[in-house]
Amino acid sequence: MPLLTLLHIAFRSLLNRRVTAILTLLSIAISVTLFLGVEKIRAGAQAGFASTVSDTDLIVGARSGAINLLLYSVFRIGDATNNVTWETYQDIVARPDVAWAIPISLGDSHRGFRVVGTSGAYFEHYRTGDHLPLAMAEGRAFDGLFEAVIGADVAGALSYQIDQPIVIAHGVGAVSFANHDNLPFRVVGILKRTGTPVDRSVHVRLEAIEAIHEGWSGGAAPRGAKRLSADEVAALDLEPESITAFLLGLKSRIAVLRAQREINEYRQEPLLAIIPGVALTQLWEVVSVAETALSGVAAFVILTGLFGLMTNILTSLNERRREMAILRSVGASVRHVFVLLVSEAVILAFVGAVLGLLLVQLVIFVAAPIVVDATGVHIGNAGLTMFDLQTLGGVIILAGVLAGVPAWRAYRQSLADGLTVRI
Amino acid sequence: MVSLRDLSFSWDGTKPILEIPSLELARGETLFVRGSSGSGKSTLLGLIGGVLLADRGELAVLGTSLSSLNARARDRFRSDHLGIIFQMFNLLPYLSVIENVSLACRFSAKRTKAAIAGGGVEVEAARLLEGLGLDRSLMRRSVTALSVGQQQRVAVARALIGSPEIIIADEPTSALDEAHKAKFIDLLMSECAARGAALIFVSHENSLSDRFDRVVDLAELNQASQLEPA
Repeated sequence: MPLLTLLHIAFRSLLNRRVTAILTLLSIAISVTLFLGVEKIRAGAQAGFASTVSDTDLIVGARSGAINLLLYSVFRIGDATNNVTWETYQDIVARPDVAWAIPISLGDSHRGFRVVGTSGAYFEHYRTGDHLPLAMAEGRAFDGLFEAVIGADVAGALSYQIDQPIVIAHGVGAVSFANHDNLPFRVVGILKRTGTPVDRSVHVRLEAIEAIHEGWSGGAAPRGAKRLSADEVAALDLEPESITAFLLGLKSRIAVLRAQREINEYRQEPLLAIIPGVALTQLWEVVSVAETALSGVAAFVILTGLFGLMTNILTSLNERRREMAILRSVGASVRHVFVLLVSEAVILAFVGAVLGLLLVQLVIFVAAPIVVDATGVHIGNAGLTMFDLQTLGGVIILAGVLAGVPAWRAYRQSLADGLTVRI
Repeated sequence: MVSLRDLSFSWDGTKPILEIPSLELARGETLFVRGSSGSGKSTLLGLIGGVLLADRGELAVLGTSLSSLNARARDRFRSDHLGIIFQMFNLLPYLSVIENVSLACRFSAKRTKAAIAGGGVEVEAARLLEGLGLDRSLMRRSVTALSVGQQQRVAVARALIGSPEIIIADEPTSALDEAHKAKFIDLLMSECAARGAALIFVSHENSLSDRFDRVVDLAELNQASQLEPA
């Protein structure tokens, strides 16, 4: 009975001081929104990150670092330090345990988007997310030499349709002065959005990469008679000399570690084979430092909100001595005074945290589709998670503990004042 | 009802500020305690109310020795058996008139029970307020809308609800103007009499004392040196 009475009194007392109560409550709500928002974005980013590539057993490239290889082969960030020869590629693909292989040749771009030279296996075996194959939004996979398939972001950003002619630039800058403009490509397919770097890639045949570099030497464009036309190029032998990297699917997952070791010990050429899941985890550890820092800042914002709550109650104490004396006169004990003040803090923290929780759900619900459309990045899903509830509980408990400071002060004050009404 | 014998109280344990050889209050008696500020009246009320504990001596209320109870039990004892009226600002500003009156029952099961026997806490509160001349229309109003005189009558209703045995009034009339003082005391005394409650009325205003059964002067009663922190 007294606890309910005290909660009722605490509530009415807060209502009486509603302006400061609402401000305190909002500061807690906003800090909780921030904290949970950071966590939701982190979880979304991590999930999106892990789903960049799936069902690939090994990624093989020239020997460098695992993260570097992952970055250029899957994320299309940075450059390979060296290539893999075509002979080596064929040698490894011929292994009995290999089910499929996707060659990747990088180094060119189209208006800032990376050009990926590959084979038809790319559309057949490349998987993202939860084992999702690539699907065409429009058109078809490339077949002819100068046909290109573009990702959803490329199509969106450049407003490209099927049959759009495109010129590939030498190198990977957004603005390029060396263009393969003698050999234009034609868009034949636009991929559905995947939320991965595939969306930002232009895919062409491996042979086309070879073709457009025919006659180039030392990074300089061919001149005069060396500038070939499409027909002249088509007549050439376009078997590539080397590729940048390749993805492997094995017949049995059990064979992965052995295949990895054997490729790493390949005698003819120094190679590096990585397991995508392992490398993704390593890379995430690097990236997540920033996320952890952000979470830390957000946690301190919550703490600041709760200190504000504590200060608010503490400063109200002097003007409320009369209130305490009245309660004492009708039989409240000093413990009741203590509980009353802790209840006030808990009520504010509870309402504030719930408000913050609803706010973050609303923001995610409204913003997530917009952000995915604009950037392809998933910022998490609306919906209550265990972490949300733990945060809610943590904020309430912490508020209760911090409120112990003003409550203890009121307890002492009340003990000293007794039934004397001080104003 | 109240029995004090050789009572001594000090804040620091060495220099007593209140020393009363003997004071008795009979059932239903009205006692006027004359005392100016500094005479130790707050201390005396604190002792009877059970928020202070005497260093020495005997203080029994309704036959119960307060020094034999722990702090919580004394708080419960106060809520069950005492109704207290202050000088002014008796009411919680964020509760309505009727909620302020029923507040006294919230901390006391005994007084809740007594009020329910009288028809229910709110019914009893309304009846008391009407008896004290407060209109029914005021009952759901905020107490801040009331005049000082009305507020003091609400405080009386709160002290009386659930029929506690002893009413303690600490300068309840000092904020009222002369015309209302006499009327207020008449109302207070008739309500106490109707419910058989004893009344301890502390005031420095001598003019009010002739209405009481008995008058004591705290300055004469208190043997300690007359220096209480104001």
